[in-house]
Amino acid sequence: MEREQIVRFVIPAVVGIIILVSFIVLLGLASGNPDGFEWVLFDYAGVPEPEGGFEGIWSFLGEGPIVDVFTGAVGIIMVLIAGYALFWITSRKTEGGST
Amino acid sequence: MHVPDGILPLWLQALMFGISILFLGISVKMVNRKFDERVVPYMGVLAAVIFAAQLINFPIPPTSGHLVGATLLGVMLGPWAGMLVIALVLFVQALYGDGGLLTFGINFFNMGIVGVFVGWSFALLLFKGLKRLINDKKAVVFATAVAAFLSTVIAAFVLGLELLTVDGFGIEALFLITGIHGIIGIGEAILTTVILLYFVKAKPKLISFLKDSDTAEMAKIPTIPLTTEPLQEGV
Repeated sequence: MEREQIVRFVIPAVVGIIILVSFIVLLGLASGNPDGFEWVLFDYAGVPEPEGGFEGIWSFLGEGPIVDVFTGAVGIIMVLIAGYALFWITSRKTEGGST
Repeated sequence: MHVPDGILPLWLQALMFGISILFLGISVKMVNRKFDERVVPYMGVLAAVIFAAQLINFPIPPTSGHLVGATLLGVMLGPWAGMLVIALVLFVQALYGDGGLLTFGINFFNMGIVGVFVGWSFALLLFKGLKRLINDKKAVVFATAVAAFLSTVIAAFVLGLELLTVDGFGIEALFLITGIHGIIGIGEAILTTVILLYFVKAKPKLISFLKDSDTAEMAKIPTIPLTTEPLQEGV
């Protein structure tokens, strides 16, 4: 049952999400403006932007749409696997067991 | 709405981290007690959907916004599992440099605790009222859209209150950040509606508000006795 669900629902959904995100990033359809929080804090209020902190595990790859597509796809798969693992571990302890 | 490291004072980060750990612990316990194994594959997909949606910013010149998904998760999975999914997404985003590692507690408090609970509560109240007038599926979509808007604005207001601890950020900026998120909240409501409509058609059993839902049990909030009688007896 679980394997059937993965093949019929999970894999097509994730492939679809990755294709959609890649399409939006490569065509430059996403906005490059600072988000609402950043704009108010740094541009409007003039609070200095912190520098030199942790820039992320992929910072060594640099920037660009190809890098964004790659890191985005890896992130989506990472979250999928982590989410699956987290709730699978949780479900093992469920009273009354599974299906 | 992802706060990076090096802006907010350490005491606030520590406080929010403590509150977040407490809520995450309660969430794990609540999900543990009521979890239905059949929905495991969908949890990962929902987390991936939220992560992917947060990668894409929509323009609101001179700023931009993105889906948070807190209300959507609350309505579909209930507040406990919803908070766990948000925590997971925020953790991976922090590894990606989007939102700080030390500010994980603050980001989780704003988007996870406030976002999910406010969104879920408003959606539940609206849904209960609307389902007397229209069918359940229409009621859940409309209630969730309105709640998504409200939770975005309230979460932004809470973030603004936290930012009052930063030199240079005043009341005017607090109103501005709340106002801008009033517009971003419309985007949140639209995207939430689009995603929820898909699940209403394809997998209505994943929506905790609907009848025969696989997630309804774990969405329940434990009843807390409000009477003070036992305390009075003790005194």
